[in-house]
Amino acid sequence: METERIEAQRATSVLAGAGFRPRLRPVGVALFVAAYVAATALVAQSDLGVQSLVLVAAVFGVLAISLDLVAGMLGLYSLGQGGFFAIGAYFTTIVVNDLSWNVFLVLLIVLLLAGLIGLAVGAMSLRVSGLYFAITTFIFTLVLTVLATDLKITGGLQGLLGPAFPDFPEGLQAPGAPVAWCVMLALLLCVGFVWSIRQSPLYPVLLAIRDAERFAEAAGARTSLIKIGVFGVSAAMAGAAGWLFSFLGVVSPGQFDWAVSLNILVMVLIGGINTTLGPVIGAAFVSMFPALVNINPWLQEMVYGALSILAVTLLPGGVMSLLRRVAALGGDAPEEAELTISAINRAEAPVEAGLFRKFASGSAGAAQAGGSEPEYAVECRGVRFSYGTGLMVLRNVDLVVKRGDIHGLIGPNGSGKSTLANVIAGRLQPLAGSTLIKGMRVDDASPSKRAMLGMRRTFQAAELVRELTPVQNVMVGLFNLKPRIIQRAAFWPLLPSGRRDLAWMEARSREALEMVGAGAWVGRAVGDVPHGVEQLTQLASVCVAGPDIIILDEPATGLSAREVDHLAEILTHLKAQGVTMIIIEHQTRFLFPLCDRVTVLNAGEVILTGTAEEVRAHPVVRQVYLGE
Amino acid sequence: MLQFVVSGVAIGAVYGLIGMALAITFYVTRIINFAQGQMMMATVMVTAEVRAAGYPTWAAALLGLGCACVLGVLSYLIAVRPILALNRFSFGWLVSTLGFAVILENAAAYIWGPTSQAFPPMFQGTSFHLMDAVVTGQQLLAIVTAAVLTAGFELVRRGTLFGKIGMATAADPEMATAVGVNTTVVAITAFATSAFYAGVAGLLIGPTTFANPYLGDTFGTFGFIAMMIGGGTEKPMAAMFGGLLLGVCAEGANAMINSQASDWFPFIILVVVLIVSPRGLFSAGNLFRLRARSVASAQA
Repeated sequence: METERIEAQRATSVLAGAGFRPRLRPVGVALFVAAYVAATALVAQSDLGVQSLVLVAAVFGVLAISLDLVAGMLGLYSLGQGGFFAIGAYFTTIVVNDLSWNVFLVLLIVLLLAGLIGLAVGAMSLRVSGLYFAITTFIFTLVLTVLATDLKITGGLQGLLGPAFPDFPEGLQAPGAPVAWCVMLALLLCVGFVWSIRQSPLYPVLLAIRDAERFAEAAGARTSLIKIGVFGVSAAMAGAAGWLFSFLGVVSPGQFDWAVSLNILVMVLIGGINTTLGPVIGAAFVSMFPALVNINPWLQEMVYGALSILAVTLLPGGVMSLLRRVAALGGDAPEEAELTISAINRAEAPVEAGLFRKFASGSAGAAQAGGSEPEYAVECRGVRFSYGTGLMVLRNVDLVVKRGDIHGLIGPNGSGKSTLANVIAGRLQPLAGSTLIKGMRVDDASPSKRAMLGMRRTFQAAELVRELTPVQNVMVGLFNLKPRIIQRAAFWPLLPSGRRDLAWMEARSREALEMVGAGAWVGRAVGDVPHGVEQLTQLASVCVAGPDIIILDEPATGLSAREVDHLAEILTHLKAQGVTMIIIEHQTRFLFPLCDRVTVLNAGEVILTGTAEEVRAHPVVRQVYLGE
Repeated sequence: MLQFVVSGVAIGAVYGLIGMALAITFYVTRIINFAQGQMMMATVMVTAEVRAAGYPTWAAALLGLGCACVLGVLSYLIAVRPILALNRFSFGWLVSTLGFAVILENAAAYIWGPTSQAFPPMFQGTSFHLMDAVVTGQQLLAIVTAAVLTAGFELVRRGTLFGKIGMATAADPEMATAVGVNTTVVAITAFATSAFYAGVAGLLIGPTTFANPYLGDTFGTFGFIAMMIGGGTEKPMAAMFGGLLLGVCAEGANAMINSQASDWFPFIILVVVLIVSPRGLFSAGNLFRLRARSVASAQA
């Protein structure tokens, strides 16, 4: 009994120390839902004025959540939400009014329709990212508004009167207006949906796609597909908001124009981008604002404009960041401080030699190569590459890496080392030549496919999500080791398998960090840890999957002498577990003792491949690289 | 046939000037100032007001332009600078410049009321014949002014040190600061210039549209389309070409399809252009990041 309690306590404290709130606070969630249902009952029975105020706010809450899903988690600032909103509202109004279809069947169709259009728009505009995405979606909304204004079927500028919401079915009576229950339930579902995603291991992956796309890709996530898919879901959600909106009154073009799309962004930013409740708070504030400030409409608009400027300039994290800061005032800071002091003395803890066995090749079931063990882990045959400026960066490069070897890759700056690493990892397509991983030709395989073959890589400048903890970052590396993470993310906390998998992923990620000696830093955001720990986190996120082949791009850059020794120790342990490594590095004092073979590149050509001694003794190498 | 080309070029010159105004601020700060249309509206309103008070037209126009420039600089200081100071790559400016536009538009509606007011004509009665087409003096003025302002901008950009400083700021503000450029001054100049361009567009179109607080919305949108069609995000001058093309197409649609066609036809052009050439028709550079896989940066 006593031991059980202590055990449980320790488990919670470990979780808390790792920056994770205890998963699933069933009591809290139940209380929240109960309060929400009570509030809904109140709204459903209140007078029409209050009801429409709250329901419109709730519909915008759904819209704001749909935008935050893409803007907050993926960094895609969509101005197309108004367009999808219009599609849902007009489609519902026309079909229900003129053809009197069942409204719930229409909801299904709206979800599908808006979702599919979202996929199409996403696929078209995601070919390029950043501002271009915002502009393309902006134009999508513009075009739809113009269509709604000019087409006959949409009733022009006057718009259409929306259909009435059906009554409760027999035997399922709840107090008040059915439409209120429906809208509020939909909002609750959307909040639950994004909350689940934030609890799931998909969340760090999404943020990795947002902040460090190459990292997510190298971990095996098919980033473009995920982006398009999530955008489709967001579009379907906005379409559903349109479905809800059509029951609340008149549907006219002015309610969907581009200014509305921007207002949705204002809601998200005011409430707090990338938070679960922030968008809802922002939506409530923005849509109720006119009713609260009852002055001359022009003055009121001016106040609104001023407020939105103030919100984004003074409070970039939104209301939620303010709340969090207030909450943190009474938090438990001292424990954290102690940890920091002890950690400053030595950024990295000693390597946990015993842990390496757990992370041997294939230990996580990452690699399912054919039965026979090929002799070479990586082969490049006649690889030629140019960045399109005419200059050949790689000319006919042949590289053969034996299984289990540490293979060094050296050469002066601009000799094509990183380019070669990018070709092997699949980020760059060579003009000619072929690449084989474990004896299989992978010329057409994307980086994520190559990751699934058991190849992982690190980057010269650490690519990590700075607002997440090292544990969460390392978890990204486990993304394709558990099945159907994406499908399960929508209701992750409800699934026993979800809880089990998450616990496994967290535990394994923490072990990987302990293994490389960064165990003391699990509770911090990556943005707050020293450079050396960042590099170790990167290494842990690679090791965690138990890969067969690791490509390390200048892992010792910016590390102190002691940190370099530490890194060498880790790599030696990894090699003992049978991991093949390709290491690009300038510090030959660190590299040569580790390497079985070293390849020297100069101006895109292989000068020689041999043991460290042979390379060191070679006259040309001494001349072009070692500078003698 | 020739008639709609001529009137298309004239109205296109106005769109092009607003497109250039958007492009100039974008060029230096990488943000789109959604309040640009409202600078144009402010010029028109102030000019109409001052003229109505009995002052000569040229004085009214100058005052209107000056007012636009002040508002342009204010929009930078209030709605853009604080956001870029926080994070140069954030999208907060979408919201803050729109907020600024909302303030201007509603302030104008509050002061002058939502209805249109008289605007002083610039070239009354004069018109020329060009084969079978008629060109009014007003139209000719628009075309000539636009040509002069476009050429002037391009000459300054390419030929003077200040233009080159602008280019350097556009490419990398931090690097420009490091070599001693006062980027704030450059940005303020850019915002004042673009407000001036938008204001001139307002003076040119004012006699046709009259003074209305909601003018900025429509012309801001069309200016934006002009910039996107032309590719002004890379080269401000391309926005002018985009504007001319847009004007001719819109007038052509009015003449050929029906009198309402110019409401929606430009959007069709825009969508087609963006599908065919996402970076605009008259720009060779690539502003937007291509997919990382094809242009992953060369390292080592």
